Amino acid sequence: MYRGREGQWAFYLHRISGIAIILFLALHVTEISSSMFGPKWFNALLKFEENPIFGLGLVGVAALVLYHALNGLRIILMDFTSWGVKLQRQLWYAVWVVYVILGFPMLFIMLKHVFVGGA
Amino acid sequence: MQVTLKILRYNPEKDARPHWESYRLEAEPMDRVLDLLHQVKWEQDGTLAFRKSCGHGICGSDAMMINGVNRLACKTLVKDLGTDVITVEPIRGLPVEKDLVVDMEPFFDAYRAVKPWLINDQPPPERERLQSPEERAVFDEGTKCILCAACTTSCPVFWVNGTYLGPSAIVQAHRFIFDSRDRGAAERFPALGSTGGGWRCRTAYNCTEACPREIPVTQLIEEVKRAIMFGQM
Repeated sequence: MYRGREGQWAFYLHRISGIAIILFLALHVTEISSSMFGPKWFNALLKFEENPIFGLGLVGVAALVLYHALNGLRIILMDFTSWGVKLQRQLWYAVWVVYVILGFPMLFIMLKHVFVGGA
Repeated sequence: MQVTLKILRYNPEKDARPHWESYRLEAEPMDRVLDLLHQVKWEQDGTLAFRKSCGHGICGSDAMMINGVNRLACKTLVKDLGTDVITVEPIRGLPVEKDLVVDMEPFFDAYRAVKPWLINDQPPPERERLQSPEERAVFDEGTKCILCAACTTSCPVFWVNGTYLGPSAIVQAHRFIFDSRDRGAAERFPALGSTGGGWRCRTAYNCTEACPREIPVTQLIEEVKRAIMFGQM
């Protein structure tokens, strides 16, 4: 394994999260479009997806979306400003600070929804 | 001090794939990794193949992956590695010919693709083409490149993409695009604006970390991207 620093891991994680998001999107579109077979099938599918496994999967996807979104802002700053590249490492740490601040309430709300129920 | 030098060896006439070989050496903290390679070649195994020329960080011959990072063997001191086990591998993404020697031709193909020379169709003035110190400073960083390929072969996109020019070629392009005397931006655009050009850079920064000349490689690539995007070339 090449011993790259923060930038390399930011890039790998961005790629992996991007692929996971597109796979989820494909799954999601398939799920929603199943409604064209009528309420019977669609409701059965939604019932099946009440299994906590799917809930936890959703927590995972949300975690990846949050990283992809925040690091995406970092990439925009690097691409469009003269100073973004020079501060890329600090920006990556800032991504993680914001990640924790936004992620924890999100995690709490989502886990509550998965295990306790209710919107 | 005793050090263990682990080298990824490959002999195309005998080996199906590269394999690690270890050598125990007596080294001084101020020894360069290049000195250790010489010690192996001269005293233990004369079949070891690697490139070196000036041995002083200028010719760019001895870029290799040392303890997982691309560096020049002649600019890396044993004491700076902070360990007595030193691993040396050929730089990645270029075909290995033997041991630490890789085929540099794809690297130089990319270099030639950006036309790294002054292009100016205007008639030459009576004396030199003048340039202010400020105009010269704009492309100063790119002039430090020694074409060692440490940056290009540290790039994850270069390893897998197959068509990406790589950081070094884009740095070379930057050196001329931002030269006030040069008028060849349009000629360089086909290579730089294509799918294998600047847009393949995904800002992983391995190139910037690897550059033995401390060129802010990623920053120069981003400047080239912006020049393409905002129609400056």
